[in-house]
Amino acid sequence: MNSLLVAAVVGLGLGAFLQKGRFCFVNAFRDFFAYKDSRVTKGVLAATLLTMVFWGIAYQLGYYQGFWTPAWGLTGLLGGFVFGIGMTYAGGCASGTLYRAGEGYLQFWLTLAFMGVGYAVFTVAFPTLQSTYFGPLQFGEGVSLFTISPIPAGLLALLVAAGVTLVYATLVGRGETKGEPEERATVASVQPSVLLAPVVGARQFAAGTRQYVDGLVEAWRTPLASSKRPWDPRTAALGITAVAVLWFTQVSIVGVTGPEARWTGYLLSQVGVDAGSFEYWGAILFRGAGVGVTTDMVMIGFVILGAGLAAAWSGDFSIRVPKRRRLPNAVVGGFLMGAGSRLAPGCNIGNIYSGIAELSVHSFIAAAGIVLGVYVMTHWIYREVGCAI
Amino acid sequence: MPSIDDVTDAPDELSDEEAESLFEQADEVQDMMGEVCPYPQVEAKKGLQGLDAGDLLVQETDHVPCTENVPRAVGDDADARVWRSGDGVYRIYLEKQ
Repeated sequence: MNSLLVAAVVGLGLGAFLQKGRFCFVNAFRDFFAYKDSRVTKGVLAATLLTMVFWGIAYQLGYYQGFWTPAWGLTGLLGGFVFGIGMTYAGGCASGTLYRAGEGYLQFWLTLAFMGVGYAVFTVAFPTLQSTYFGPLQFGEGVSLFTISPIPAGLLALLVAAGVTLVYATLVGRGETKGEPEERATVASVQPSVLLAPVVGARQFAAGTRQYVDGLVEAWRTPLASSKRPWDPRTAALGITAVAVLWFTQVSIVGVTGPEARWTGYLLSQVGVDAGSFEYWGAILFRGAGVGVTTDMVMIGFVILGAGLAAAWSGDFSIRVPKRRRLPNAVVGGFLMGAGSRLAPGCNIGNIYSGIAELSVHSFIAAAGIVLGVYVMTHWIYREVGCAI
Repeated sequence: MPSIDDVTDAPDELSDEEAESLFEQADEVQDMMGEVCPYPQVEAKKGLQGLDAGDLLVQETDHVPCTENVPRAVGDDADARVWRSGDGVYRIYLEKQ
């Protein structure tokens, strides 16, 4: 298949789904910590698990191009933490920054620019970092559990997804049985409470899913009007999964900051910088193939365009001028995101979404680092009004 | 953990006329144009702390996620309604409970 066409379809689709679902990983974790709002968290969870299942099946059947599995170690935790701090301060993750740039936020174009500064500074420091940072902190070769598991990949993905859903149902169920003494009294009298939580949670989960499907059917009665309203993040999750599976079978896993770092090298090479002579750009990001425009760079460009089109359609597009007091968020947050995503390596999409979906050992560690960074920064921003968790 | 109902209850939307007449009754108006998350959430919480029950706090914002995040952040502290202008400006009406 024509790779440019794939990049356009996947990019436009991703951008539109991200925009319509407000698919922001900062929102997903920050608001969960700050006031236990889990709408977007559920969307992120659904997208990751669904993608995991379909990627696992695609891998087992041989329809894939390759995994992204950096060496694992403490770099994931440290770089992820820096990235998490950065994205919470900036008010948008790697994917959130992209789709808001498409919505017309000058704030997030500035964030993108300073992510570029982060990539460039990292690139200059890379030879030193390799011996002082990556050398001592990376412990082993990166690996995807899909490739080493004795269980077939499709089945492994299903088992992990089922396991996570069960844990989720148990947590929801536990919260629910605490909250509703009546239900506990009637059901708990016949069942030990340890068994009760997953059952109540699963019932909640089923009811929620039913409610979601009803809402979807309802929305389809007025497709035009519904398409302009904000979508349930789970609908966005389904759409994201569809384009991510297409991308996986044709190109690779979905990443954002890798292609962005390549854009930085490419744009600098256009203004006379010999980007290819830097080891990180020349040998690693462009793999010795010369500094040029790669398929995934085109895809990232289409994400911004797709988000812009979706926003214009929904009446959400507007050139937004930032408040002056928010400029440090774009400058410092963007820089920390750019640098953090290289130090880990990987951003929220590479590590939380794609990385967990491909069961990469490095990404489990990096995802923990990112969430930890969000937690710390959320508590700092909410220091005057307090956090729920 | 939050209940599944959290997913579906979006704040009520106001018509242009309602939005205009209510705006005149606002006890406090916060200018959140050009702001990004989570500062409007934090400001809304702080703003409500200084108001009495029944008072109306209005935030004017051009940040799309705020229309959902701000009502959720204040939770039971305020009854929230939202007005969408259709060209990227939104007002969030918070009546302190």
